Amino acid sequence: MNFAIHKIGLAIAFSPTSEAMLAEAMRLTMVYQARLILIHAGDHGPKEDKLMDALIEKAGLPASFIKIRWENGNPGDVILKVCQQENIDLLIAGALRKENLVQYYIGSIARKIMRKADCSFLMITNPSTQPLPYKNIVVNAEDSPYVEEAIFAACQLGLKDKSNWVHIVREVKLYGLTMAASDQRSEVEYNEVRHHLVQEEINTVEEFLQKIPHDKLKVNIKMVSGKAGFELSQFAKRKSADLLIVGASQRRFSLFDRVFPHDLEYIFADLPCNLLVVHPDQQSGKEEHYE
Amino acid sequence: MNKLSQPEIMQLLFQLSIMLLFGRLLAELARKLNQPAVVGEIVAGIILGPTILGLVSPDWFNSLFPPGSSGLVLDGFVQVAVVMLLFIAGLEVDLHIVWQQGKQAIYTSFFGLVVPFLFGFAFAFYFPLFFGNEDATRHLPYSLFMGTSMAITALPVIARILMDLNIIKSRMGMLVISSAMINDIIGWLIFSMVLGMIGKGNMNFSLLNTALVTIGFTVLMLTLGRGLINRFLPWVNKKLAWPGGLLSLSLALCFMAAAFTEYIGIHAIFGAFIIGVTLGDSEHMPERAKEIIHQFINNIFAPLFFVAIGLKVNFLANFDPLLTLVILGIAFAGKIIGSGLGTRLGGFTWRESLAAAFGMNARGAMEIILGLIALENGLINEKVFVSLVIMALITSMSSGPLMKWMLRK
Repeated sequence: MNFAIHKIGLAIAFSPTSEAMLAEAMRLTMVYQARLILIHAGDHGPKEDKLMDALIEKAGLPASFIKIRWENGNPGDVILKVCQQENIDLLIAGALRKENLVQYYIGSIARKIMRKADCSFLMITNPSTQPLPYKNIVVNAEDSPYVEEAIFAACQLGLKDKSNWVHIVREVKLYGLTMAASDQRSEVEYNEVRHHLVQEEINTVEEFLQKIPHDKLKVNIKMVSGKAGFELSQFAKRKSADLLIVGASQRRFSLFDRVFPHDLEYIFADLPCNLLVVHPDQQSGKEEHYE
Repeated sequence: MNKLSQPEIMQLLFQLSIMLLFGRLLAELARKLNQPAVVGEIVAGIILGPTILGLVSPDWFNSLFPPGSSGLVLDGFVQVAVVMLLFIAGLEVDLHIVWQQGKQAIYTSFFGLVVPFLFGFAFAFYFPLFFGNEDATRHLPYSLFMGTSMAITALPVIARILMDLNIIKSRMGMLVISSAMINDIIGWLIFSMVLGMIGKGNMNFSLLNTALVTIGFTVLMLTLGRGLINRFLPWVNKKLAWPGGLLSLSLALCFMAAAFTEYIGIHAIFGAFIIGVTLGDSEHMPERAKEIIHQFINNIFAPLFFVAIGLKVNFLANFDPLLTLVILGIAFAGKIIGSGLGTRLGGFTWRESLAAAFGMNARGAMEIILGLIALENGLINEKVFVSLVIMALITSMSSGPLMKWMLRK
């Protein structure tokens, strides 16, 4: 289990938030001692070169850390293609917290990345030119192929950023049905069923944590019941989290998942805060590691 | 408005009290024997009804449950209970679990539904007289009903068995649960079409029209209805008293949807079931509220309904051993072959697949509700109904032990 970040990609458009996005990407590039690849989908000419140079200069990024990829074509497709070609470990992009109804169903560039990316990605909802470390991290401990990597990423970033809290959230599965099927038990048995349901999930999280260094972190294990993704999002909002970390889904989401949302789709529909989706399959973890 | 007289009010209250008391007593006995409560409640009805009390002491039976206004009101209670039971059956369906299991659940439920359905349909279609169908005009709806009655699955019974075996959250447990949920949705959809075809509502529909109306209503509720509920519930949770506001509005929606489907010619139960699915699927419907609704309906209205079944039908006079055996044989064979095959195709071993199939074989309360509605709508006779109730009880009682045995082998 690992969450090594050697190459960070930043999808950049010359928009009012570009400077802040670059500052956020730069902070993480420093945290992970990684290399930054700027991906611009659109026209490329002297005007764009000038704008990019100005942005980089303002951010104070050393040239050795940066590579720029100028690409033409559909922005969503281009960004995902570059991620594969460059073996990017973490793609950073800006995203609106919530899209309007039409955009939601058709899918914006950010939502396309969320649903189709093959690498880990960080969606920043409110970038700042003076980015701060993540102090309040919420991580999803839901059964997913990357659950351990997600918790590892949360603890690792929590330690690097000296976070105040890392909240680990897990769903008590089939809570409603299990309690409904228990209605013919005595009061003691009924409460035992409830206790057992919760304790079982806490034990699972503790087993994950045993394998992950988290000694200097304040960790809170929280159980929720209901619709997993939705409850996770609500919890992140309640805690005013600055980063929500989840493991990537095993399958890609389609329009059907937007009509009948479940799991991560609830989060994609209404981002509670910055969102880091951990998808370590494509991580390079190989060659160049820029110190 | 007509009023009940004082003796009639007393009689009604006494009937309700006796039914709840006896139902609880026998449900507790069933619980001690590790059997579902419904088994005890049905037996309570059989003891209080024409089968035993009516036989041993007809005077006592007639003075306890006389025909008249109080009986009519009691029947009203039973009708409301059926609607509510279907509402909670809908609430139990968690589409989120179904989407999570994906294609795997679809394979298992497809075979678990189609094979027993075909078994039930074919036997009723080719041997109508043996199954008591003398009305040639109802040949198709009757066969469709028998198919559905073989295909239906009792989700709460299955959940309880899987919990007892501590495999509810295993891959197999989740698969069985999600397949049972899909079976429930499709089973009730088909049954509503059958009821629409026999035309008890305001309109007489052809098979195609009934199918279109039923599927249209389902799609509309699960998309537009769901969207409206998702906008409405946060306001209810925030502004109204909790859980009172949510509970009364949920039941109001349930009765409204039931009335609407009854009006358009598909039975009231379908409206209640689909609104249950829609509400249960809303992320704004808290699990705690579902738990309260469950407890309220399962412990007050469900016993009234199941005890009332024993009051309506003489189980002894209408017991046909051969018919019961044949129905049991079809039920076991269809479900075990179908669900077993479906689970096997999903990548489980034969032993695990058979264990899952034994679990899916439990028909429980759903079969009894299905049978009673068919009986009240004149689709089946009392002999077939009694056989279906016995089949529901035997399949529910045997599911757990058979599943345990198969997994231990």
